[in-house]
Amino acid sequence: MDEKVLSIDKTTLEMLDKAKKDGVKTAWDRKAELKAACGFGAAGVCCRNCNLGPCRVSPVPGKGVERGICGADAGVIVSRNFARMVAGGAAAHSDHGRSIALELYHTSPDGDIKVKDEKKLMKVAKRFNVPTEGRDIYDIAHDVAQAGLNDFGRQMGEVNFPPTLPKKRKEIWDNLGITPRGFDREVVSIMHSTHIGCMADAEPMIKMALRCGLADGWMGSYMATEFSDIMFGTPKSIDTEANLGVLGGNSVNIVLHGHEPSLSEMIVQAAEEPEMIALAKEQGADGINLCGMCCTANEATMRHGIKLAGNFMQQELAVVTGAVEALVVDVQCIFPALAKLSESYHTKFITTSPKAYIKGSVRMEMDEEHPLQTAREIVKAAIMNFKNRDKSKVMIPELKSEAIVGYSTEEILNKLDGVVNSQIGPMQTTKPLGDVIVAGVLRGAAGVVGCNNPKVQHDFGHIETIKGLIKNDIIVVVTGCAAQAAAKAGLLKKEARELAGPGLKKVCELVDIPPVLHMGSCVDISRILELVGSVANQLGTDISDLPVVGVAPEWMSEKAVSIGCYVVASGIDTWLGVVPPVTGSPEVVDILTNKMEDWLGAKFFIQPDPHKAVDEIVNRINEKRKKLGI
Amino acid sequence: MNLYQTVFTGSKQALKVAEDLVKEVVEKKGKDCKVAFPDTAYSLPVIYAATGKKITNVGELEAALDVVRSLIVEEEMLDKLLNSGLATAVAAEIIEACKYVLSDAPYSEPCSGFISDPIIRSFGVPLVTGDVPGVAVVLGEFPDAETATKVIKDYQSKGLLTCLVGKVIDQAIEGKVKMGLDLRVVPLGYDVTSVIHIVSFAIRAALIFGAVKPGDLGSVLQYCSDRVPAFVNAFGPLSELVVSAGAGAIALGFPVITDQVVPEVPTLLLTQKDYDKVVKTSLEARKIKIKITEIPIPVSFAAAFEGERIRKGD
Ligand code: SF4
Ligand code: SF4
Repeated sequence: MDEKVLSIDKTTLEMLDKAKKDGVKTAWDRKAELKAACGFGAAGVCCRNCNLGPCRVSPVPGKGVERGICGADAGVIVSRNFARMVAGGAAAHSDHGRSIALELYHTSPDGDIKVKDEKKLMKVAKRFNVPTEGRDIYDIAHDVAQAGLNDFGRQMGEVNFPPTLPKKRKEIWDNLGITPRGFDREVVSIMHSTHIGCMADAEPMIKMALRCGLADGWMGSYMATEFSDIMFGTPKSIDTEANLGVLGGNSVNIVLHGHEPSLSEMIVQAAEEPEMIALAKEQGADGINLCGMCCTANEATMRHGIKLAGNFMQQELAVVTGAVEALVVDVQCIFPALAKLSESYHTKFITTSPKAYIKGSVRMEMDEEHPLQTAREIVKAAIMNFKNRDKSKVMIPELKSEAIVGYSTEEILNKLDGVVNSQIGPMQTTKPLGDVIVAGVLRGAAGVVGCNNPKVQHDFGHIETIKGLIKNDIIVVVTGCAAQAAAKAGLLKKEARELAGPGLKKVCELVDIPPVLHMGSCVDISRILELVGSVANQLGTDISDLPVVGVAPEWMSEKAVSIGCYVVASGIDTWLGVVPPVTGSPEVVDILTNKMEDWLGAKFFIQPDPHKAVDEIVNRINEKRKKLGI
Repeated sequence: MNLYQTVFTGSKQALKVAEDLVKEVVEKKGKDCKVAFPDTAYSLPVIYAATGKKITNVGELEAALDVVRSLIVEEEMLDKLLNSGLATAVAAEIIEACKYVLSDAPYSEPCSGFISDPIIRSFGVPLVTGDVPGVAVVLGEFPDAETATKVIKDYQSKGLLTCLVGKVIDQAIEGKVKMGLDLRVVPLGYDVTSVIHIVSFAIRAALIFGAVKPGDLGSVLQYCSDRVPAFVNAFGPLSELVVSAGAGAIALGFPVITDQVVPEVPTLLLTQKDYDKVVKTSLEARKIKIKITEIPIPVSFAAAFEGERIRKGD
């Protein structure tokens, strides 16, 4: 491994040292072993869509082989590969949304999963045209779930959109022909059109990708967030702590990793049961210490203040501390490497979802009928594993940061109410946010989202981007692994307002918030859409007129590509800190970073240097402000 | 024009007026001519608080224009906006000082012009104890005298000190508002720049009661924001100059409530078109709680009337 510093996070570096001493490998080692990546794949010009191939064409126009065996050129191959990434990412969110909708469908007053937020249920019922007058809460919930589920497999018409989608935006989609029909259908459409001998034109191919992305953002993810709130409660601001230092020295450490909130919710419940705590004490532990990684962590922290152990690239390092009794996972972004890694420690690596079996893991499948019972068994297994902890192998980094999380759209509106003059009103709107943006006290808003990627220094992109933006009076909302990076760096504390520019600082003081707001998991990016859509509606403009941007400084997953597509298609300029595999086709690059602006009023920017990205964002935001006359 | 550009424009206008006037004073009186406000130990209080320097003659007054210039940095960030507002305040003080150079008595009944130190000292204690629960700076023109009177009397009945600037003075007279320091309604002057006399009141409060060191502008602003419960009501069409002066008020922590459509800033710059709600809106914006329960007797009854003498004709 070359000696450049791999992470800006101290605990990460400490644990990487320990991993070396313990003789175990991490993703960084495997990255180094792979040496330089294949240039054809990196440029997106390698195709394996049929068995005539694999074909690889030259990424340099006019030089070398220009077409695959079927005649597909670089533009066709790159756009098809790109679209399949979107389909993969959207499918992950689709299935996540679907399980949640199914859970809502199965809620019952005496079941493990109940309706927790009736107010939100009523709000969502309204948008699905489900009658509520004088009806039983659970009948409403089941009808809402059914209505939501219909949108996944809808064959006629188009999916239901939330009222936060501005009219003008919808018209743009209709005119471009990218209004999503059914969610699963859009994924299938891409898989169909990317088959050999089908779509062979980059422009319409990318448009299909946008349509699929939109089904993700404004339907699948949106619904996943709404339904999760209905069942598990809408997040409110809550204190927590972040980084590997949250692991307890003498507690049963259970790390929740993955994505779906139902797993974490059940485990949180089980771990709070007095019998479980008593059992843990019987085993000589002080108690049970739940912490999370990746988006499951985000879900659990938003609703319960569960501590954040770390983000994507730290998942193995949690095990390396030697202090994790159980690493419990469901789906998405779970390194299969964890199975082998946990063999070197006492950690039980427990998989729970039939969608993500991992060879070598302990399989404890969630019983859909009795999820709480399964959760109890998992917690028990973790507790009983405490005695196997090898104290000589334990090393927990000292470092952790305080953070405030839980900024759902609802909570943001509640906070904003605090600065509304009751004689003027109105309450429960985004008006104060719109006002400070129009007045120029805040220059704009940015969503910083996405993963970690060992191609770039761990967390560096996230932190430098966020710091740069807040310094320029651009308020930042975060989700996913970017949010955890911010939490670890202390940017989710109220004190972080000292790092903000004068306008943002003032706003933070008035509203009593940190300058960086944690809005949740990856599917919760829909909360950002909700917020931005509301501001646009409030101001009577389209989203693309607003000085708002999206940034994915260290993205890696196909989900991130789908997210990027729906964010741009929603009219929000999006910066990518890691180059996507599209550089082999100047045509596709031109579509993504140029033409899209004509279609959508927004486009992609590819900028690996976070400082340059911040400059570009500030300029772009000022441009948009000027156009809007603010 | 966006809010920032409006403020910058207003500040530059104020600077220009100040420059022209100072030039006139230099020509007429010479650079050695003495400059002072009546009955104050704080020279030109705004400039003194900001720079720690006392201005004694016209030459120094001319040099003080540089303070205004240095505070106008046309960059669209909040600190620059507030500084630009302060620039307008300093320019206004220079303009008002020129008036006192050019004339021995630039203000006459009913206007007070500059407010002397002894008055500030006498008002300071009730301001701190909450007996004077706040200072309302009412500026501009209401749609009619009746509305103006209603609002001013409401403040008066609640014991606030109300300062009037501009045409509202005539509207108050027309509405037969009883005025005078002891009645806590003080017409400052007809020019917008006369608003500086209440600003210099607040700033001297920081120097006198807060023992803030002159030149420590940050602490002066903090003291005013924390301890001087003032706010501004700006009614009628707003010129760029007024808006930039408003930014100065905001820098001191004084919210501005207007009946005009402006780019609002929550808690700081608010539009209230319903005149019946102006008082409540303002008090809430400045977080002023009225100690005295209003007594429902026909005549407005409050501390503001303590000093009132029943004159013969009444
Ligand atoms: S689809 Fe075309 S380019 Fe792709 S592998 Fe088959 S022949 Fe080659
Ligand atoms: S941000 Fe990326 S790495 Fe993190 S959980 Fe989401 S998709 Fe996975």
